[in-house]
Amino acid sequence: MKKRLLAVTAALIFSMFFSLAFVSCDKQKTKFVCHSLDYFDTATTITGYEESKEEFDRVSGEILKLLSEYHKLYTIYHRFEGLENLCTINDLQNGAHRTVSVDSRITDMLLYSKDMYDVTNGKFNIAMGSVLSIWHTYRTCGLADPSQAQLPPKDKLTEAAKHTDIKDVLIDAENNTVYLQDPEMTLDVGAVAKGYAVEMAAKYLEEQGISGYVINVGGNVRTVGTKPNGESWLAGIENPSPDSDIPYVAYLNLSGESLVTSGSYQRFYTVDGINYHHIIDPETLMPAKGYLSVSVLCCDSALGDALSTALFCMPYDSGISLVESLDGVEALWIMADGSQKYSSGFDKYLAE
Amino acid sequence: MNGKKAKNDIIFISALLVFALIFGLVLFLSQTKGDTVVVTVDGALFGEYPIEKDAQIEIKSKSGENLLVIKDKTADVISASCPDGICVHHRPIQNGGESIICLPNKVVVEVRTKGVKGTDIIV
Repeated sequence: MKKRLLAVTAALIFSMFFSLAFVSCDKQKTKFVCHSLDYFDTATTITGYEESKEEFDRVSGEILKLLSEYHKLYTIYHRFEGLENLCTINDLQNGAHRTVSVDSRITDMLLYSKDMYDVTNGKFNIAMGSVLSIWHTYRTCGLADPSQAQLPPKDKLTEAAKHTDIKDVLIDAENNTVYLQDPEMTLDVGAVAKGYAVEMAAKYLEEQGISGYVINVGGNVRTVGTKPNGESWLAGIENPSPDSDIPYVAYLNLSGESLVTSGSYQRFYTVDGINYHHIIDPETLMPAKGYLSVSVLCCDSALGDALSTALFCMPYDSGISLVESLDGVEALWIMADGSQKYSSGFDKYLAE
Repeated sequence: MNGKKAKNDIIFISALLVFALIFGLVLFLSQTKGDTVVVTVDGALFGEYPIEKDAQIEIKSKSGENLLVIKDKTADVISASCPDGICVHHRPIQNGGESIICLPNKVVVEVRTKGVKGTDIIV
């Protein structure tokens, strides 16, 4: 009798360890990560939980394929054979400007951007291409040869700013055409294209019933669902002061939301010892002052992208009133002196 | 009851317990130790380095060079041939999931951890 009891106990212990081993190796989904440097002139990171590497490769491959398509449509720097994109629209200006038939993904994004112009009181403006391209040229030259780095002449910027009226961007949503009425106007969608593309890729996953993924394109983050065990994702907001010992200024819990940070601390060039970053205030035509970074937390990555840029160009008082007036939008401002300001519902998302 | 058989049972169960203990220990160690610094160039693996071991690595690519230094369990790019210098400005990395990326040279330096702790996303 006793012997049988022992045998049963032994068998039980055995089966317990075996089941434990199987639970931790097989059923549990594993975290996979992949990077790409091919889209939107920035780094893309996809994180996902899957049972196998093959499944993760399949899903991340679909995400990358979508990002690639949006990149080709929205880029202002590259042409692709047989494709009308924002680059070809811009190139037609100054001489050959005409109505262009485009993919509906271009007209959808441009219409969204015109709406965002109104929401942000013009602080987010895709018709700023003429001004931004001057800064882009001076920045690129200044980085290539720092000893020759210069600021764009003020009169050149002021002249270019005469061709930035959003009303001259004419979009026909039914026929999917774009017409830039001002022949010297060009478009720059750098403050929305990434976010819009990431949002579309995230929506695609949601339609497929896929969750447990994070898409991050150059600081434009969109979480799709939670982790498989129901836990939220832990997001660290990078400290914009590179010399500080504290790597993150805040930790947030995300479960399906988007988090976008606009910062002055990564992309800049130096003239006479002063750093000039890439976020240009439509009013001063100079890099916006006041913040080291602005992060926006909301449900839609396109909204977060456009808003973070706009908030970066706004005084804090108007910024906070804008954020508080929008449903489901929270923001974190890191001021020039390193201090932090939060919108009223932001602390809900703060992790320990 | 036969005393010898009971003794055998005890030995058998003790052996099982010892086995379980070792099994658990191996599982525990494999999850908490062994963070590595993984370097890729243009998507292809360039090298993997234990973060515990100080090292200096010249990452040579078609587009240029980045100098990676692993010291005191952190990894840092201290110089590079790229024009924008974003990778050099970047603070040293040490936790799983953190990365330093050099777009012009197509270099990704990433800390990979087998543990489960740490941030999932860095913005």
